[in-house]
Formats: sequence, structure tokens, C-alpha cells
Amino acid sequence: MPEELQKDPLTRGQFLWMGALGTFVGAALTIPPAIFVLDPAIKDVVQGQSDVMGGWKVLGSIFDVPPAKVVTQLVEFTQKQTYDAGQPGVVGTGANMRPLTNAVLLSWKDGKVPRVLPGREEKRPLKPAEINEIGRELNVMANACAHMGCPTRWSEEEKEIVCPCHGGIYDINGEHIGGPPPHGLWRYVFRINEDGDIFVEHKFHVKSSNATRPYVI
Amino acid sequence: MAGLIARTKQVGIALADWMEERTGIVSLTQTFLYEPVPKKGKWLYTLGSATLFLITLQFLTGILLLFYYVPTADNAWDSIYYIMHDAYFGQYIRGIHFWSANVLLLVIGLHMMRTFLSGSYKAPREMNWVVGVFLILIVTILAFSGYALRWDQEGFWAWEVGAKIASYTPFIGSWAIITLLGGDTAGPATLSRVFALHVWLLPAVLAPLVGVHLYLLRKHGEYGAPFEYAERLTELRKQQQIRAYNDLEEDESSQEE
Repeated sequence: MPEELQKDPLTRGQFLWMGALGTFVGAALTIPPAIFVLDPAIKDVVQGQSDVMGGWKVLGSIFDVPPAKVVTQLVEFTQKQTYDAGQPGVVGTGANMRPLTNAVLLSWKDGKVPRVLPGREEKRPLKPAEINEIGRELNVMANACAHMGCPTRWSEEEKEIVCPCHGGIYDINGEHIGGPPPHGLWRYVFRINEDGDIFVEHKFHVKSSNATRPYVI
Repeated sequence: MAGLIARTKQVGIALADWMEERTGIVSLTQTFLYEPVPKKGKWLYTLGSATLFLITLQFLTGILLLFYYVPTADNAWDSIYYIMHDAYFGQYIRGIHFWSANVLLLVIGLHMMRTFLSGSYKAPREMNWVVGVFLILIVTILAFSGYALRWDQEGFWAWEVGAKIASYTPFIGSWAIITLLGGDTAGPATLSRVFALHVWLLPAVLAPLVGVHLYLLRKHGEYGAPFEYAERLTELRKQQQIRAYNDLEEDESSQEE
């Protein structure tokens, strides 16, 4: 008989209690470590937080963007990864925060300087309408390749933006023209003031609807 | 002189016997060292041992490198530069760690190929193949994370690219990449994570799995080892005899009718 073969007779109630206890102990042992490791992902995906502090950073002047080529400008954001949890006495000093350096690619649309700029004195303030027109003509792009995030650069010989890792190619406007990238370069959210200074935020948008996020920059 | 040698030999044997009786060291050594392998293939059956040797080397040199390596984004590269240029035998120790890691991947590949070509993955050894597949996966991630620990341009971008590849995973892409980077951008948390993976988590998983791999090998032995052929042949002959006997009986009964 099967009942006789059972070494350790267990009632239904005992069995269910054991199951409940096992589930509880199992959860207590596995859930905290899993959440501990997934902490950054929870903060980003679920709570929508970023490691990079908000705020506008000066990138340079529109008068320094040349025609028919792409220039690289470095900009430093502040990253609060690992080191800064807002300790009292340190908050706001920035002493224990790290700079996150981004390389930004700047160019004029199709390499043509907007018609409001040539012959203009730098001292004279720009009018809002002029700023709008310049804003439409200016490309402010992340140098991170849209494929795997490698640092791209402008090739003067090819007149293209090229990626060293897997051969992604973009035109002067950062549009994808060859290689594996799924879309063009990410564009920074930027604004221009009346003196012609360009300001960027660590926020990106792309024209294509299936765009991924940059992550590594 | 001859007497001295004989007496030394006697003392040695007595000592080994004494130890054997109390610890089983002699029979244990034999159990651990000797494994019959098929005549065909011979040296190809040492590839597993070569893998084990190289993994051991990784553990030993890895522990030594930890005496100098600094796992922070600001100092990781400099600490390796120190190992390579200032520390005595630094190039030697790191060189062994680097080159044996490269050779390890090659030897694992050959070991896997030998196992496949000799059919050693077949019943009852399937689980050892499965454990082996997990081992090669762990070793690959170890190699990749070790590359990133250098925190130079090559290693850094290799890890970024790896993390970006993970970001294309359906449904959990952003969870995967942020967990690998330790944030939505690469930074100090990235290196901490890579360090935790390379130095603690993966070796801690690897070591017991190597134990299971060896246990299963000892349990079943090498496929095609001589004794196994003998056993199978005996079994085959026995079955042939039974079949022949049955046929004979059938013939006789049909004749009687």
C-alpha cells in the first residue's frame, strides 16, 4: 500500500503550512537581494529618475560653428552615481559628485550657415525670430553612435560622421546613411540665448518614432 | 648503501600505510588522479584537465592581482599601470592572468569539440554536457568582464557595446542595460558592478559547478573507456546467446508439430 510506504506521514494541513512557510522564507531570502541589485533599473524604469543632474550647460557660441563641417564640443554634466546619496553637509557642494563629460557634435543643417548670420556683429543681440530660425538650422548631436554607443567623429576626407566600432555612417545632419545603426544620432534638447550662446540639457530626442535611448552617454 | 635505500623505502611505506589508515590519503590520491581513458584519442582526453589547470591559474593570479587593483573609475587604470610598470613581477603575474585566460577559452573550445566528436555527451552523460555549457557561459562572461576591469578605451567600450546589445532584449531591454551599467549612464557604478561580477559572483558560481562537472565525470567515467567496451560487448554476447537459444527452441517446437 502507498500509505505504508510513506516514511513521514503528513496531514494536509501540515503540508499546506510547510508550503506557506517555504514560500515566505524563500521570498525573504531572494527578493531583497534581487531588488538590491536591480536598484538602478527600478529608479530609472519605474520611477523615471536619472543619474545625471538636470540643468542647462553652456556649450559654446553659434558664431564658432563653421560651415560645411562638424565640430566637437565637450560639455560637463554632473553625475550622482554611487557616490552621492545626499549626505548632510555635502549636498550642493558638488565635492563628491563626478563630472560626466559628453562630446557634442555641432553643425549647420546641410553645412549652410543661416542667412541671418553672415556679416552680423557678435555684439548685437539676436531677435527671437532670428533665434528661432538659427535653432531650426543648428544640429546639436550626441557623438554616441545610435547602434552600440561608440564615440563617432567627423571625417574631413569622407565628409561624413563615422563610427569606429561597426562602421555606422551619418551625414552632416546626423541622419543615418549607412551601416548598422537603426536611426540617426540622438539630438540634445538645446536653446540659444540672445548673445548666441548654446545651452544643452542632458535630454535627447530623435526624429524617428522607433528611436532607442542612448544610455551610455 | 643498498641497506640505507632499502631501509628508507621501508620507512616510507610504513609512513604511507600509517597515513592511509588514518586519512585514506593514498587511495584518495589514486581516486583523484587516475581515470581510464579510451586508447583512441589518448591525449585529447587531457583537455579537461588542462581547462581545470588554467581555471586554477586564473584563481591564483586573480587573487594576487587584487593586492594592487583598485576598483574605482578614477584609479582602476592607474593601478593596472602600476602593476605593469612598478610592481616586481607585475608583468609576470598579470601576463599569466591575461594569457591563460585567452588560452582557457581556446582550450575550453577544444575540450567541447572533443566531447562532441567522441559522442561523450550521450546517455547517461547528458547532464555533464549541460553543466559544461553553463561553465563555458560563465567563463565567457568572466573573460568579458575582466576585459572591462582594465577600464581603458578598449575594455570600457567593449562593456558599453555588450550592455547596448543587452538593451535590445525584448521587453526587459532597459532593465538589462541599466542593471549592467548600474545606472542610465556609464560611470563609477558600472565598474563596481563589473568588479562584483568578475571577482565575486561568477567565480563563486563557477567553483561549485566545476565540482559538479568533475563529480559527474567520475560517476560515469569517460565514454568509450576500455572497461566500458568490455562490459557492453559482454552484454551484447549475452543477448545474442539468448536470441540464438530462443530461435533454436522455436525451431524445435515447430519440428515437433
